[in-house]
Amino acid sequence: MTSTIKTEPFVINIGPQHPSTHGVFRIKATVDGERVIDAEMVMGYLHRSMEKLAEERTYTQNIPFTDRTDYLSSMSNNLGYCLAVEKLAGIGVPDRGNAIRVIMAEFQRLASHCMAVGAFTNDTGAWQTPVMWAFREREKILDLFEMTCGARLTCNYMRIGGVAFDLPKEFMPGARKLVQSLPGFIDEMEGLLVENEIFLVRTRKVGVLSPEMAINASLSGPVLRGCGVAWDIRKADPYCGYEQYDFDIPIGYQGDSFDRFIVRLEEMRQSVRIIEQALDALPGGPHSTQVPLALRPPRGEAYGRVEGPRGELGYYIVSDEGPSPYRFHIRPPSFINLSALKEMTVGGSVADAVVVLGSIDIVVGEIDR
Amino acid sequence: MATRVWPGSETAAAAERLVPGSVAKSTPVACYLKPEKLVETMAALRTDPESDFVHLTDLCGVDFWDHFEVVYHLQSFEKNQFATVKVEAWDRENASVPSVVPVWHGAWMQENEAYDLLGIRFEGHPNLYRILLWEGYPGWPLRKDFLSMPGGLQPGLNEFAGTARRAEPPVRAVE
Repeated sequence: MTSTIKTEPFVINIGPQHPSTHGVFRIKATVDGERVIDAEMVMGYLHRSMEKLAEERTYTQNIPFTDRTDYLSSMSNNLGYCLAVEKLAGIGVPDRGNAIRVIMAEFQRLASHCMAVGAFTNDTGAWQTPVMWAFREREKILDLFEMTCGARLTCNYMRIGGVAFDLPKEFMPGARKLVQSLPGFIDEMEGLLVENEIFLVRTRKVGVLSPEMAINASLSGPVLRGCGVAWDIRKADPYCGYEQYDFDIPIGYQGDSFDRFIVRLEEMRQSVRIIEQALDALPGGPHSTQVPLALRPPRGEAYGRVEGPRGELGYYIVSDEGPSPYRFHIRPPSFINLSALKEMTVGGSVADAVVVLGSIDIVVGEIDR
Repeated sequence: MATRVWPGSETAAAAERLVPGSVAKSTPVACYLKPEKLVETMAALRTDPESDFVHLTDLCGVDFWDHFEVVYHLQSFEKNQFATVKVEAWDRENASVPSVVPVWHGAWMQENEAYDLLGIRFEGHPNLYRILLWEGYPGWPLRKDFLSMPGGLQPGLNEFAGTARRAEPPVRAVE
């Protein structure tokens, strides 16, 4: 005798306070039994009105705000904002400043991906051990940041026209030592997880996204590259002299959570490659150009963008020749990468929704701003 | 190889070729489309092999006191090119522009954000709601007449010694 269990759709909340949401973020999932049939995102718990605040502060005063949007990659955020203002005001950056920016942005990508990979394994059930391993390496990178600019998380290091300080003399030996040890850690992490049966079952074919859907949903970064679209702004539209460095764009083939994870691991290897080249070819000279503190860019608009750890990070700035931006808009990669969350989660189980969210690697400070 | 940024005139020429009568004006930076032809033109720009703007990179609104501009940054991966398209909304009380969600799914969240913070309605959006703030929040924060400080813009932030004050319409606090 067979019998079927009759289920009724009901709504469960994932979050706002839940470890898998990486912050204060909520998914209202409608489930039928174990299957998710609808997912609605609720956000804004961390909204701080950054874009409005920035309209009342000078161009230089806005740099610390950009630290606090995506608090796991403050260097990249600083860089994107400074590039947009430099584009608007027509300010050049000396070679040394550009090289230091590249080194810092790539170290930041490593630190951020350490966090992403660690937290993702946490979501898949590898409780705490891999995340602590990743954190151990991230700490070493943050030590370098602290050595350079005095802060670990909110660095506020880039300036319009260059960087705030030159590298301290302890930086080069420390960075070289770290760069030598990092590939070993990445191999170790990969060996630990990629052949792990449980990890594969939890991530393979979970949250599959087609390349067409990924492009249509405006995704960017590792989520887009995990679907097989080789699009990286560092290659496509090089800034800060990225064209001098030799590196590859890793892409996935399936577009599932595992591919997004493996793309991040591979990107870490490429970042190490870039840092090695940049450290070898670090030019001398000044680290910054002199820019007036009360900067008044000419009337106009500029869209500056960088390839942040989470995707395309853009800053759209409109100037009316005033001391503060007339309009300051951030294109937050975490926010826009959530466009396809519903497509990825519907049809899977509730446990898969957690894995999908971890594989997108959101930072709620950037979603809500 | 750097991305080729289309000047406004080139975008306008492409739009005019694809949908005649769709361009309102063009500036060196951007091409302004007529709202009534916006969706049709955007769909054509997306599928046309020469423009191939498959990726809606960024969408935001800007308040210019007397009108709103909605700014679309489009890019093509195959051709590695980038264009800025704008559309204007002149009715301040009932600002609305057509939604481009039928063309790009990625506009869904960004249009919601522009609606939430600037109060621009996107006609045809499947689910327009206040995505960051809560329903019933008084006012639209990113409008220029909404003040984040109760006393309004005070000297200091807006002025430097020896510089003229910006000519701006008088500001009023939101109730």
